[in-house]
Amino acid sequence: MPYLPTPQAYLEQSALLLQAYPDSRITTKYSFPSQRPTALKKAQARQSQRQQQQQQQTQDASTTQSTTQTPVATLTLKTYNPYAGICLQYRTNKAAEVGRLITSLGKLAGGADVAALGLGAAAATAGAAPGGDVEMTDAPVATEEAAPAQAAGQQAQGKPDAGTKGGKSKKKGKGKR
Amino acid sequence: MAPHLSNEEFFTSLTSLLSTTSQKTRGSVYLTQKPLLNTTSTTSDDPSPTKPAILIRATDGNTNAPNPKNPKNKIEKATKASKVKISTVVAVEELEGFYGRYAEVCKAGMTGLKKRDRKRGKGKGKGGSGKGKA
Repeated sequence: MPYLPTPQAYLEQSALLLQAYPDSRITTKYSFPSQRPTALKKAQARQSQRQQQQQQQTQDASTTQSTTQTPVATLTLKTYNPYAGICLQYRTNKAAEVGRLITSLGKLAGGADVAALGLGAAAATAGAAPGGDVEMTDAPVATEEAAPAQAAGQQAQGKPDAGTKGGKSKKKGKGKR
Repeated sequence: MAPHLSNEEFFTSLTSLLSTTSQKTRGSVYLTQKPLLNTTSTTSDDPSPTKPAILIRATDGNTNAPNPKNPKNKIEKATKASKVKISTVVAVEELEGFYGRYAEVCKAGMTGLKKRDRKRGKGKGKGGSGKGKA
């Protein structure tokens, strides 16, 4: 059950998983570190180790003590399909990523494919949601292509979907140039 | 299980759930989303030309309950009443608007995460002072 290194990779893989298995579920866990005595001990040990390392590097360790008092929460995103047994995870503790991740989850929920997530570009693609024709002229074409592909049946869905995906991304590239 | 809340009620409950967890700096909040597939036979005949609505759940997984190992809490029986469990259903047409607000609520509520400004500022400050000293 891998932790993916970047949010982009996580979202991309999740989009692929959702395409293959639309009934996958996505869980977002917002969690503070455990306060069980054993867990606390471990955390303290880790912290002291880190502090020692920092002390070796820079001699003023006074600044690090302020961070020890407030536990930093973590946000873990998990896409899981019980039938396939596939589980994708991404973990972060940066508040700056929350908004971006949640909106991306919305796009995933709307059935966006990898191209529609707009991971390559920093700009959010408004056309990612189904029926959202905000983007360019190529967006409605892609949705039209996707609709018959879905109607064709779930088993045959893989190939035509892959086709539309490739086509869409190519078109997008041209559009940007 | 309790019936689904409306989207508005869900947001207010989620806001309070996140803020209490953040204030306590303890426990977890689990947010789950999955398509609400119809279990009726219509879907198997015709593989859903319309996309299913999204079911969104939020719970604290009973992590805000008092520690059962603590002897004080054993006396008053461990009840599951403290567990928060809310859910809502979002139609496909409302997805974009819902997730816009959902992201806002999460951003505002998840205050226990590392803040960007402070971290960056510190890093720069350290780097700057280091350079200055050198």
